[in-house]
Amino acid sequence: MTEQELLEAAAKAVVSADEDEAKAIATEAVKLGLDPLKVINEGFTPGMRDVGDLFERGTMFLPEVILASEAMVAAVAILEASLPEDQREKKAGTAVIGTIEGDVHDIGKGIVATLMRVYGFDVVDLGRDVPLDTFVEKVKETGAAIVGTSALMTTTMVGQKALEKMLKEAGIRDQVKTMVGGAVVTQYWADKIGADAYAENAQEAVQKALELVQG
Amino acid sequence: MTKYPTRMGDGHVIDMTADELKADLIAGSADAADRGRIPPLKDDEIDFLLDLFKSNARVVGVDSGNEVVLTHDIGTLRLDGDQGNSGVGIPLSRLQGVQVHERAFAADTMELGHVDYSWKPVKPIIAQEQQALENILLSTIVPIFYGAMPNLGTYYAPDGPFGNPSDLLPMGKIKEAREAQELAVEHATRDIVYICGKLAEVGADGVNFDTTGAAGDADFKASLQAVEQLKAKHPNLAIQVGMAGEFVLGIHGELEYDGTRLAGLYPHHQVGLVEKAGGDIFGPVVNTNTSKSMAWNLARAVTFVKAVTAVANIPVHVNMGMGVGGSPVFETPPIDSVSRASVAMVEIARVDGL
Repeated sequence: MTEQELLEAAAKAVVSADEDEAKAIATEAVKLGLDPLKVINEGFTPGMRDVGDLFERGTMFLPEVILASEAMVAAVAILEASLPEDQREKKAGTAVIGTIEGDVHDIGKGIVATLMRVYGFDVVDLGRDVPLDTFVEKVKETGAAIVGTSALMTTTMVGQKALEKMLKEAGIRDQVKTMVGGAVVTQYWADKIGADAYAENAQEAVQKALELVQG
Repeated sequence: MTKYPTRMGDGHVIDMTADELKADLIAGSADAADRGRIPPLKDDEIDFLLDLFKSNARVVGVDSGNEVVLTHDIGTLRLDGDQGNSGVGIPLSRLQGVQVHERAFAADTMELGHVDYSWKPVKPIIAQEQQALENILLSTIVPIFYGAMPNLGTYYAPDGPFGNPSDLLPMGKIKEAREAQELAVEHATRDIVYICGKLAEVGADGVNFDTTGAAGDADFKASLQAVEQLKAKHPNLAIQVGMAGEFVLGIHGELEYDGTRLAGLYPHHQVGLVEKAGGDIFGPVVNTNTSKSMAWNLARAVTFVKAVTAVANIPVHVNMGMGVGGSPVFETPPIDSVSRASVAMVEIARVDGL
């Protein structure tokens, strides 16, 4: 198998959510002496991006996304283990995520949490109907780099604005980046309340989260 | 260059030129065509929509003779509820709410709904709901439906007896999540058939499965099964099935009805299954993207719904309102937007009702 063929097979293994195949390809890459970071970034990661696209288009479904992410995580673990300690990719950081209190819609938020884990974040998923105090406490406790909130209703999106104020009052607003999402939320709203980023879907959320932590 | 006032999907007012409007209309229709693998709107239909957006009239209407059935879900709650549930805070009973819709708002049909608006919580209070329905039936003329959401979320922890897929899936417990959904499907089907049977006993003209599929493909399957069983037991009970979103979310991913995988179905495929199950009216939903203009959203919604009416053998009453059918996401959607969206659905998508 050439390097190009292996990279394509890696992407395919993720899209087909085949953990055994993904692990076998990662093992093969190590045996062939390929650059593990290249295999991750040009093989498995594009596969996961395809998964996000397919999910967004409604042709791939939540259980398959979970299985695909597990396949990717398993393969990356093998590849990273072959790297010297100082070359291993550092964790992207901690992200606290949840749906604002009063709102129980958490399907989209759960997908964002799943993809963020795949892309190297330590995700603290607070679930749905989360009191604003809890977000503040968890950011303090974990030293999170990002706090992401989801709101699917106009009556709960105001909680995102309140959280901005509470983070300032707690003296930690400068230490954490805020991200907002949910069907009723827009870039206009994010700008208005002073959030650091808005994302329309899970794939975009991950990209923006990476941009925020990488500066 | 002349600019025309319109709105974004979140309701805020913007100005767009005719060229910008047209570009968004074409792009919105193309997006629907791409996702649904359906035809985009024709040039003359895009031009019709463009004229709607360029019109100075704050409120627009259909041509005489093209009027369609106007019906309301959860209308009884819309008057006495506050803004938190899209209401206007007028203290009226549910009976008075129905009468106001019939006699003052000229609704063609009306619906009774409980404040929880899900089938499951109606079961323990069915006797009271039968009484309320009977009183309304005896004091009104328009067809009266009883409506609620299948809402499989009420069957999952912490509200119900089964594990919550939203908790199980992130833990990788896919088998358990699927089993929980399969159990919920059967439990919900049984509850809905029981409740609707009781409503039929007191003379309900129909029942409305509202926001079907909100909890994913299992939600849709429970609804279709319940419709099928209800139709067999109560053939004269009209059954409306309205959707929650434009495609069925695959939270289970492998559930089927009549040999068709439910996850990922778009409206023009949903309607066939509703017909097969015995539904009498189908209510397609197309979601509004708050980050796009109303022109983009409306062209997209009309494209999807036109594909439904092209294949439907039952009346199509499209969901129009907050965040669906091209209208902005706004508690009380502005009349300039709602009237334009309504005209487009009637004149281009050829719906039977709103």
